[in-house]
Amino acid sequence: MTQRFFIRRKTRFPLYEINLLGAEDMQLLEVSRELGIGLNLREMEKVQNYFRRKKRTPTDVELQTIGQTWSEHCFHKTFKGKIQFNGKKIDSLFKTYIAKATEKVDPKWCFSVFEDNAGIVSFGKGYGVAIKVETHNHPSAVEPFGGAATGTGGVIRDILGVWADPIACTDVLGFGPLNFDYKKLPAGVNHPKYVYMGVVAGIGNYGNNMGIPTVNGAVCFDESYVGNVVVYCGCVGLLPLGKFRKNAQAGDVIVVAGGRTGLDGIHGVTFASAELTEKSEAVSRPAVQIANPIEEEKLKRAIVEIRDLELASAITDLGGGGLSSAVGETAKKFGCGAEVELDKVPLKYGEMAPWEIYVSESQERMLLTVPRGNLEKVLKIFEREDVEATPIGQLTADNVLILRYERVKVAELDISFLFKPPRTVRIAKYESPEFEEPDFPEPSNLAEVLKLLLSSPNIASKESVVRIYDHEVKGNTVIKPLQGIYAGPNDAAVLKPLSDSWKGIVLSCGINPSYGKIDPYWMAASAIDEAIRNNVAVGGRRIALLDNFTWGNPEKPERLGSLVRACEACYDVATALGTPFISGKDSLYNESPLGPVTPTLLISALGVIPDIRLAVSMETKTSGDIIYVVGETFKELGGSEYYRLRGILGKTVPKVQVVQAKRIFKAVTAAIDAGLVKACHDLSEGGLAVAAAEMCFAGGYGMKLDLRKVPQEASLDRDDFILFSESNSRFLVELSEQGNAEFENLMKGKPFAALGKTTRDRRLRFIGLKGKVVLEASVDELGSMWRKALSSEVQP
Amino acid sequence: MKYRLKIHVSLKLGHSDPEGETTARLLRELGYKVENVSVGKVYRVLLEADTTKEAERKAEEMCKRLLANPTKDDYAIVVEETK
Amino acid sequence: MKRADIKICLLRVGGTNCDAETKRSFEALGAKADIVHVNELVKQRNLIEYSALVFPGGFSYGDYVRAGAIWAKWILAKLGKDLEAFVDDGRPILGICNGFQVLVEAGLLPAFEGVSQQPEAALANNVRGYSCRWVYLKHENMDKCVFTWKVPKGMVLRMPIAHGEGRFIFPKEKEKEFLKKLYDNDQLVFRYCNGDGEYAEGGFPENPNGSFHDIAGICNPEGTVFGLMPHPERAFYWWQQPDWTSKKRMQEYGDGKLVFESLIDYLERKG
Repeated sequence: MTQRFFIRRKTRFPLYEINLLGAEDMQLLEVSRELGIGLNLREMEKVQNYFRRKKRTPTDVELQTIGQTWSEHCFHKTFKGKIQFNGKKIDSLFKTYIAKATEKVDPKWCFSVFEDNAGIVSFGKGYGVAIKVETHNHPSAVEPFGGAATGTGGVIRDILGVWADPIACTDVLGFGPLNFDYKKLPAGVNHPKYVYMGVVAGIGNYGNNMGIPTVNGAVCFDESYVGNVVVYCGCVGLLPLGKFRKNAQAGDVIVVAGGRTGLDGIHGVTFASAELTEKSEAVSRPAVQIANPIEEEKLKRAIVEIRDLELASAITDLGGGGLSSAVGETAKKFGCGAEVELDKVPLKYGEMAPWEIYVSESQERMLLTVPRGNLEKVLKIFEREDVEATPIGQLTADNVLILRYERVKVAELDISFLFKPPRTVRIAKYESPEFEEPDFPEPSNLAEVLKLLLSSPNIASKESVVRIYDHEVKGNTVIKPLQGIYAGPNDAAVLKPLSDSWKGIVLSCGINPSYGKIDPYWMAASAIDEAIRNNVAVGGRRIALLDNFTWGNPEKPERLGSLVRACEACYDVATALGTPFISGKDSLYNESPLGPVTPTLLISALGVIPDIRLAVSMETKTSGDIIYVVGETFKELGGSEYYRLRGILGKTVPKVQVVQAKRIFKAVTAAIDAGLVKACHDLSEGGLAVAAAEMCFAGGYGMKLDLRKVPQEASLDRDDFILFSESNSRFLVELSEQGNAEFENLMKGKPFAALGKTTRDRRLRFIGLKGKVVLEASVDELGSMWRKALSSEVQP
Repeated sequence: MKYRLKIHVSLKLGHSDPEGETTARLLRELGYKVENVSVGKVYRVLLEADTTKEAERKAEEMCKRLLANPTKDDYAIVVEETK
Repeated sequence: MKRADIKICLLRVGGTNCDAETKRSFEALGAKADIVHVNELVKQRNLIEYSALVFPGGFSYGDYVRAGAIWAKWILAKLGKDLEAFVDDGRPILGICNGFQVLVEAGLLPAFEGVSQQPEAALANNVRGYSCRWVYLKHENMDKCVFTWKVPKGMVLRMPIAHGEGRFIFPKEKEKEFLKKLYDNDQLVFRYCNGDGEYAEGGFPENPNGSFHDIAGICNPEGTVFGLMPHPERAFYWWQQPDWTSKKRMQEYGDGKLVFESLIDYLERKG
């Protein structure tokens, strides 16, 4: 027990000093645990030394502030720390791979990257597009509805935090199999179906209520997600770049606006940085916050008006770490100190200890700094929107953070100390695991395989999710998540954000967790390729990327090793394809009693299209059109849905031939711009056969395609491999007969071939390597298999 | 005097109750022999009034003015005096 | 009234979120449309300066209690007299989605015998939960509704819906009586149907929420107050259509434009 270290100060309110100046190692750790601040020994020692130098004991407020600021969630210790990897020294994964890729690509159109709450690229007509994707895995595991809802609310505030008006949301979700055996469920882990229904509803609840369309996303299923649900929430915003204010200075007033502060979400940060244990459900439920989207909607209106009138000098959201990280980071960013009177912060109920007020993660709050002369105007705007806004302190010139409660000084910390935690040094190692190439005879009934693939959870229609999100609100959704009369799955969403311009925003994503089980490097490479080709397929270009890592415990060398491999791929592929990273976020420590999460990298892609009238959708348009495949097919079925169907993982995952990929993307864009492409669909899970089937049933036409014409590796000697290989950088393109000469000219030097034609008879046929029809199926039947599978799992 | 009101608002019989039906289905899936579920709302109101009668009258009024839509909702009111 | 003199009031409160695109639709037709926070209207008391009033879609007050209920009662309490004068003067009121819910909860629809003290209908939760999809609507109104008088009777229109509480119902014991009134007074405006104009007869997804008699939109007996669950402002331009990529040639505008155009033309003629 460390009770003797805790000294109650004689104040009217609860305040403790913690006398750790003479504490020994074990005692330091004990104090860290008791306060729930999650600091390790090296960190606690640094804290101890700091206060020894100051010749005084720290208060609970101070230790909590340090704990929050140095947490994995706020500081990203792993990505910013040092790593020893197979004998090599890496000084910050983030700087070495992610930021460096952006530096190397160095595009002129990036307005702000990695600096603020969200990445910003220029859009034209003086506007910029801001984008951010957040992970909210841990809170969603414990309380699916609230966790997912507040995840969406949080990422929307990130967009508000760069003065942008949110115009679209995205969501990428990973669940355990919905038919998972209840009996195998460990205590403390919620069933995937419960998690699924809660998460999906929670995301819809927030976006819908705020009137922000949810336009793009993905849902994947994996056994490892049973104990570690994966929830990525994204948001895109629009801002006039001339109104982007970031010039706070000493003397500016700190204003907190929006919801009141309560006990909800206290210690969410340290909680997100710890592994989920059996006890999680019981002990951490108060760490999940209650969402109030209407509060945030009002907040948004006020913020947009304050932006337009240029009344504030800086803004940031209150997310992980609450006031402690928002105040600290704002002060640091502008080279200031700060004074805050914690008793001014409006509370939801009763009394809270000063440290609780400072670290609470209550939702729907934003922090602004306002030049004194504008304060009255700003407060009036909030009042008009029925939003509470309160000045709680000011920025100061001296680089010191001072917190008071009822005039008593409860914390005094140097900003320079606060933002210099000891660098973590971690060990990483990676060895390619041994896998075997499977050997099985080619199935005789390939049509049956195709039907099974279409109804497998990872491929089946996500309509039951898509429809409970409003994807039409704001009236600017040009290419929708489901397209055509028969609602096929589009590759990307296109928005037309400005009334007086035809220019569009293109949003897409890529995610391939199965490949990560075999090779994290090619998994990451494939995710990048998929995100980009989805974007290219509808007409997107000038693509910016976002990286979101969901990994296991980085303190385990092999987990960290695979993270390093994935980061290496991010650098290699992004630089080769000329697509910079502009924002990202990591969620580590995704481990449960069932084991670690399958390493899962989400790549989100933000592109533009100069004229939305050029946008291309995936459904077949008419009969008698030529169907081309662009890109080369290899014998790389490791981690494929086809193998998964057979219960095999395999050995060889799809690779990315970066030089060829870049040329293919460019050529497809040129063909779209020339107005030649009537439909375009990327080849991903389930390969050529699934992509062709989706195009058919989305448009209501058949196809007759010849597998002998597919540009392919020589060893690819089986029809099933050609049909179901998931090689990257491939598209199916529909073209009318007249356009084909021009198209072939554009494609010269790239692997491509005309495979056959669309047909009126609504049957999909493939001619095999031996010249006979090897797969034939009714398009309507394929469509209904695809549509029914998932929705019958979750609906009556 | 302060009164604690408990106002239950629930669907009138005969109207379909999607929320109840969905909940019933999920409970059945969890292995309970659930025949049906109906969902309603409870409003707990702390109210200032002179007499129990007045509190009841006010509660009735609240239902009519806001809390229940007579097209589909029934309501029940419980009034308790607080000490 | 000259088109340029027409001034529409788009009312909003915390949770309203379809105001910008609704404003855009009116302005595309050359009318002026102000987005007004209800707090301002209470302060200024200038509702009567506007030619028409619109309650746009959204989640006013978070749809707590019942969708639209809180805002409806709040407005009746604060602006009841102004609203009554507005209706009595025959000035048009439009409610889209959440706005329709507000009009029903406020007793402004169906308003068989004038504005009713208590709601005579309800927009209950959808039989299959929240849904965002395009639906077909058959125009049923003879000539009374000022928001659809330019739409020929029997025409099939297409617009998207996005709501969780849009199942139009009457009190069970009054279904027949009230339905007859709707017909007798020419209050029925839109019913859900399929692409060929055959009524949905309650079938999903053509009738997306389980509405009684496939009702998607109704007006008051005077035809000046109109509410509908679908969103005409999301079906205004060709590029908002869900299948524009499949069409060789799209018309320049979507069917939603007809609603806005009918109102503007009506106001122009009314003088």
